[in-house]
Amino acid sequence: MIEFRDVTVIYDNDIVGLEDASFTIEDGEFVFLVGKTGAGKSSAIKLLTGEIKPYAGEVIINGVTVNTLRPKKLPYLRRSVGVVFQDFRLLPNKTVYENVAFAMEVVRANKKEIRRKVPTILSLVGLSGRAQNYPNELSGGEQQRVCIARALVNSPAIVVADEPTGNLDVETADEIMKLLMEINRMGTTIVMVTHSEKIVNDAHRRVIQLESGVVVRDELEGGYNLNVPS
Amino acid sequence: MYPLKTAFSSLGRNAMMTIASVITISCCLFLFGVFLLVTFNINYISDQISEKCELQAFISEWSSSVGEERILKEISALPNVDSAEFESKEDAFRNAREMSEEMAEALDNMDGEQIFRASVKVTLKDLALADETAAQMAAVKGVAKVNNRRDIILKVVSVTNVIRIGSFIAMLILLLTAIFIIRNTIELSVLSREEEIHIMKFVGATDGFIRGPFVIEGVTVGVIGAMVAIIIIAFGYSALTAQADGMREVAALYSFSEVAIPLVAGVLLLGIIMGGIGSRAAVKRHLKV
Repeated sequence: MIEFRDVTVIYDNDIVGLEDASFTIEDGEFVFLVGKTGAGKSSAIKLLTGEIKPYAGEVIINGVTVNTLRPKKLPYLRRSVGVVFQDFRLLPNKTVYENVAFAMEVVRANKKEIRRKVPTILSLVGLSGRAQNYPNELSGGEQQRVCIARALVNSPAIVVADEPTGNLDVETADEIMKLLMEINRMGTTIVMVTHSEKIVNDAHRRVIQLESGVVVRDELEGGYNLNVPS
Repeated sequence: MYPLKTAFSSLGRNAMMTIASVITISCCLFLFGVFLLVTFNINYISDQISEKCELQAFISEWSSSVGEERILKEISALPNVDSAEFESKEDAFRNAREMSEEMAEALDNMDGEQIFRASVKVTLKDLALADETAAQMAAVKGVAKVNNRRDIILKVVSVTNVIRIGSFIAMLILLLTAIFIIRNTIELSVLSREEEIHIMKFVGATDGFIRGPFVIEGVTVGVIGAMVAIIIIAFGYSALTAQADGMREVAALYSFSEVAIPLVAGVLLLGIIMGGIGSRAAVKRHLKV
């Protein structure tokens, strides 16, 4: 479960990222974070990945209060939050298999476990046949699937997807959305930032809309319409 | 396994930079080793000179062998005298002849035995009380003259102190330079793997795990640099001590085998420590994700 309690984020240059933002995301939910550029979506994502700490208020992820988390404990929190990036961030000198296995190696998973789990995850994201290919041999959609596989391989309870379809065409974006929905159906909480009206409107999932750092809308089966906050 | 594999593949990937760093580190550690040897030997020579700080009481021509024995006994009984040794005029002549062939020839030509006198050579417990002891020795009946070399010795000791402090400062500067060089080398490696570090941070790798390969890289550069420096020093110093063997009468240098353990341990340990500190410094700011 994710809880934002009156969260305010202020950056060094006095820019307000979030202001008294409060919401709760239950386990297994699929939530869209929408809003214009500078609305506070990135601040929310950075709080979830532990990149920043709130200036005021509390962020609680799976019972862990991020505000008071010691830096040494942060890696362990991050293992429960998988991150999918808009620009994929795959390592070009590693194969698909190695890119996914890398996420397990660096948390000291044993080799047997890696050999068992990576093919399963690659199969889940539909890339079994591409395991030995390098990222530059893959399409954008395939690269994003690798990124999703890497985010999932350590079995996080939450996946944070920061505009995962931003660099993809409509058709590929739909495929990625189907995959994310499937992962959500299997029990993983998904928080997704997007600017795509079509994706939000098609999904009929919960929408949290931010404007100038403030939560202006929180609808269970909301649409994308940014101009009419409820 | 992962840290070792990553560290060595990175060292290989940046081979030219690694070699350049090893050479530079070797130079720094070589100079460090040289200053270390200077310090060791300065201490050693200073001790030898202090030990040689003896007062010499020359005995009057007319003293009989009974008188000489009494003089030796009285001088030995003085409170600041550590040891006292009688040297007959024949011994003094023989010792002088043995110093060099030229000296022997010159002494033989001038019937040198006549210019030497019997004496009592004294080493002191406390150098600071040398003047007082010299006066006490001069007061012993039958002593014609007392040679006191205290001023020269004190000057030598003060010069060695200056050299010691200079060496220490030079070693400190060399250490900081070496740390800076290692830091820069490893930073290049860190920059080439910045994206990898970023991903590692996001998937929950600990800072220690991320740092591991870089520290191994830095320590490896430090250790190889130290080993190269030690080999050069070993050959150079052995050659130097062989050359300086002729000066043994004045002041001896440590042989390489005598200083090998502290030198090798010191230079190697510094290579490791500098590698560790340099690489930690290089990776530190890149871990703030």
